[in-house]
Formats: sequence, structure tokens, C-alpha cells
Amino acid sequence: MKPRIVTEHLSRWYGNVLGLSDVNLEIGPGITGLLGPNGAGKSTLLKLITGQIKPSVGRVTIDGQPVKGRADLFYRLGYCPEQDAFFDGFTGWQFLYWLLRLHHFPEEKAAERTKEMLRLVELEADANRPIRSYSRGMRQRLKLAQALAHEPEILILDEPLNGLDPLGKRKMIRLIRDFGQEGRLVLVSSHILPEIEALTRQIILIHQGKVFAQGDIHEIRDLIERHPHVVSVRTRDSRQLAAWLIQQPYVVKAYFGENDDNLFVETRNRDKFFNFLLELVAEGRIEIEEITSPDDNLQAIFDYLIGKA
Amino acid sequence: MIREHGYSHWDGQFIERRLPWWPITRLNLKLAFRKKHFRPVYAFSFMPAFFFIVAIYISERIEDFQFIMRGGRAVLFEINPNFFKNYLASDFLLFMLILIMVFAAAGLIADDFRFNALTFYFSRPLRKRDYLLGKAAVIAFFVLSLTAIPAILFIFIKILFAGNFSLLKNYPWLPLSIIGYSLFLTFFYCIYALFLSCLSRHSRYVSVMIFAVYVFSDFLYGFFYNWFRQPFLLLLSLKHNLQQVAAFAFGVKPAQPVPWFWSFLVLGLFCLLAGYLIIRKIRAVEVIR
Repeated sequence: MKPRIVTEHLSRWYGNVLGLSDVNLEIGPGITGLLGPNGAGKSTLLKLITGQIKPSVGRVTIDGQPVKGRADLFYRLGYCPEQDAFFDGFTGWQFLYWLLRLHHFPEEKAAERTKEMLRLVELEADANRPIRSYSRGMRQRLKLAQALAHEPEILILDEPLNGLDPLGKRKMIRLIRDFGQEGRLVLVSSHILPEIEALTRQIILIHQGKVFAQGDIHEIRDLIERHPHVVSVRTRDSRQLAAWLIQQPYVVKAYFGENDDNLFVETRNRDKFFNFLLELVAEGRIEIEEITSPDDNLQAIFDYLIGKA
Repeated sequence: MIREHGYSHWDGQFIERRLPWWPITRLNLKLAFRKKHFRPVYAFSFMPAFFFIVAIYISERIEDFQFIMRGGRAVLFEINPNFFKNYLASDFLLFMLILIMVFAAAGLIADDFRFNALTFYFSRPLRKRDYLLGKAAVIAFFVLSLTAIPAILFIFIKILFAGNFSLLKNYPWLPLSIIGYSLFLTFFYCIYALFLSCLSRHSRYVSVMIFAVYVFSDFLYGFFYNWFRQPFLLLLSLKHNLQQVAAFAFGVKPAQPVPWFWSFLVLGLFCLLAGYLIIRKIRAVEVIR
């Protein structure tokens, strides 16, 4: 499928601080997740794509047109920024209506569309309350509504699920998925892996201003599978457990923590490891108090990718 | 459930607006009039216009008002370019315009900085110049409503009371001078207020700056003039510079023996520098993340 957003050697510095370095991407229709830890450069990339900031080097094109100086691109583009950006005195209705007016919607149509969007994000009942009285989740939904209101073909969402409760997240995910399933382009950023997994399989991994991987999330995960996972097991029989585990071919290393009850195990195959552990527990050969996976987070994945771990 | 609502697509056609900045102007005008202290200040600013209309009436009824013409006051009732210059460059009007800026213009950009709203402006089909035009048009509305519009009205009232066109016959360039000087004032106040508005995220500080810079520049002039007695020191005062340019625009003798173009140059340089800084400051939020 023909890419709609193309970045070429895109770099951005903030003084001496590197925000983004030599990013070359081609993003086509559908939902693409931009995944990276805090400070990775996700927001910088999204701001560059939406023309909010200028690149230090390189360029961004949308549908073959450079973003810079093309205000008319925003007829096709919706942007939901990460930070709160509201006029405090406004009500939700006024905020959406006024932004639609900036989109050149006629008065009547803007009012009609405002109502529809507030209904869509379930803020109809709170439409006439000042935004300052909205909860974080309500503000997030309002931000999403303003990005969707003019029916853009391309939707750029910067951490849209931040601050939402689990139910709110689920609703927001459905909304974004519905939008993406219509063949539009949705680029959504997050630093939480499960959030992105719930939205899409297509991801871009970004860290320290560089793109580390792009493609299907499972393929990337398979690559990561080659690296050993660290699992911490707390049991009173940690030495016995270590003896059993070290005999397994998929266990690379076993060592004790400061407390003798804590056993750290490095394994190349988590599934087999956990199956074995379950068998031991089921057979009553060992009692386990706690299992944690200290490297089961995004930072650990990046550490693997960049060779830190 | 959100899913059940489904999407309802807007099937209308986008019509590119000729004045994309108009919604910005309209909104900010509404917000200005909502401020409770602003309306009395704005209304009070029309006081000179009222008195000048009374003066035009008196000028046509000199014989009925002989009692107020004593002591050389008759000159106040001569409707000539100086009359218009006295209105448009009066200390009172220039000061009231500053007060209007304090109330209505301080937050124009500062509030957008405060609420991170630039992101929303610049993710719409809106260019930087549309944004600035939208903001400047708010200031232009207030300045022109107190300068060009009353001054042009004075001409009509004079013609109406006199029943002839002698004013325009004697000074055919007068409407041009009024419009030209009013536009100059508008341009200056736009740049002045927008520049100070983009220096802070807090409109209160901006209000103080708008007031203080104007008053302080005049104070500086007075302070140094008392010491050195050099008329060129008026170049330090925004008010006196505006009045010098007004004297040129209406072809009257300036209050100080300083060529008008020096004042024009000082104000022009100020506007140039301030304009450059405004453009530099109006960027979307650049946050290191």
C-alpha cells in the first residue's frame, strides 16, 4: 500500500539536546503504534509530522506534499496533542465549536457536528460545563473529539490513553480502532506496550530519538525472544529450585538475590520455563510465594534492542 | 457504549474561507467585551469624541456661544487640520488606547501561551500570518473605532452643521490624513500590544508592561529633558513620537522643533524589531520530551 506519511532523514535538536535523529519512515493507511519509553522522541516525531515544529534536518511529506507551510493539509489531518491545551474559561461545547469554526465549518454545521462529537465521546451531558471542571479522562476524550471532528483522513494521536481509567481506555481503543478500520491512517503513540498491542500489530519502536524497529509487533517480539528473560522467584526452597532449573536447557543462568529466598533465573524460553515451574508447583515439590518479571517492560525490550542488556 | 454510537460522517463541502482569521477576531472581541472593567473604559474613551462633536456644533454657532470664546479660546473651535490632529493625537486618547490595550489585548497571545493553545491553532488550516492577523484585527477594531471612525464622523457632522463642503474644499487631503494617521496608530498599537503579549504567559504581567512601558518612556523624556533641555530627547517618549508624526500627517507645526521623520524612524525601528520578535515567538510549543 502506498505510504501517506514519509519522513526522510528527519532530525531535530533542541539546542544541544537530540530530540530525533535521522528518522526514515514510510507509514501507510491503518493503525500504526509509535512505541517508546518516556523521552524517546515520540512527541517530537509527531510534532514534526504535524508541522508543529520544524526539522533541523530532513523533511516530512504527507501524500507527497511537504508539511512545512501547508496549512491546507490540516483539512485532512487531525492532531491530538499529549499535553492539555484548553482555554480554561471555555465549556466543552464552546471549545469544539470554535475549533470547528477555525476549520471553516459554517456556523450551523459546526454546531451540529459539535453535538455529534460530544455524543460520540460521551460528553454530551457535560457539554456546558467549563473544561476546567473536567476530569483528566474527560479532557482526553475532548481532545480526541477535536481531532476527529472534521473527519480527517489522517489522525495523529499523542498518548491518547494517558490518564484514562480501564473502562475509558477500552472505549477509546474501540473508537480509534473503528476509525482505523475505515482505511484511514492513524498514528498513535504510547509508552505502554499492552495499550499499543490492543490497538494494532504495526508498530514503530523508538528510543533515544532513533527508530529501532518497525513492523509487525509479533515479529519484533520474536526477535526479542532470542534474548534471555529474567524472572524472579521467591521461595523458601530457592537452592533446591535452582538445582532443578539449572538442568533445563532453556535456563541460561540462576543466581540468588541479597535475600536467599529470592532466586533470579535467566531463560531463553519463558513459556517452557513457566510450564516447568507450574509442574513443580502442581506436583507439590515446591511452594512459591511470588513470581515477578523485572524485565517485562518496554524499557527492557529497548535495552535488549540497543544491546544494554 | 461509544461503539454503538458509530460514526456519523459529515458530508458537507469544505469552503475555504477568504478570511480564515475572522473566527479568532470574533472570539477575542467577545472575550474582551465580557471583561467587566473593559466596557466602562471603552465607553469612557469616547468622551473626547463627544466633546469634539460639541465643539463642531459650537463652531457653527459662534454668535450664540460668545461667552466661552474669551481668552483666546476661539482657536479651539476652528475646524481645521489642527482640530483633527488635536483629537487623534491628544494625550487623553493615546492614554485611553493604552488602557484599552491593557484590558483587551494583554491576553491575546499570552493566554494562548498559558493554555498551550498554539498547538490547536496550528493544527488547523491556519497560517502564522492568519493567527497574527486575527489577533491584530482585535486591536485594530478598538483603535479604529476611536480614531478613524469618529474623525471621519466629525467631517460629516461639520458638513451637516455648516451646510456646505468648505472644510473639504479647503483641505481636500484631510480624509486621507485621518485615515493614514489612524492606520499608522493602529499599526503601532497592534505591534506594541502583540509584542508585549508574547513576552509572557501571564496576561497580568503583560497588562503591567503595556502600561508601564508607555508611561515610563514618557517619564524618561520628562526626566532627561529637565536636566538637558534638549528637544531631541522626545524621541525617548512613545507618546511624543506619535504626536510628532501626527503633526506631520496633518501639516501642522510640531510641538517640538524636531523633524517628524526622526520620530517616525524611532517608531518604525521599534515596530520592525518588535514584529521580528513576535514572528520568532509565535511557534508551536517546543517541549523536550
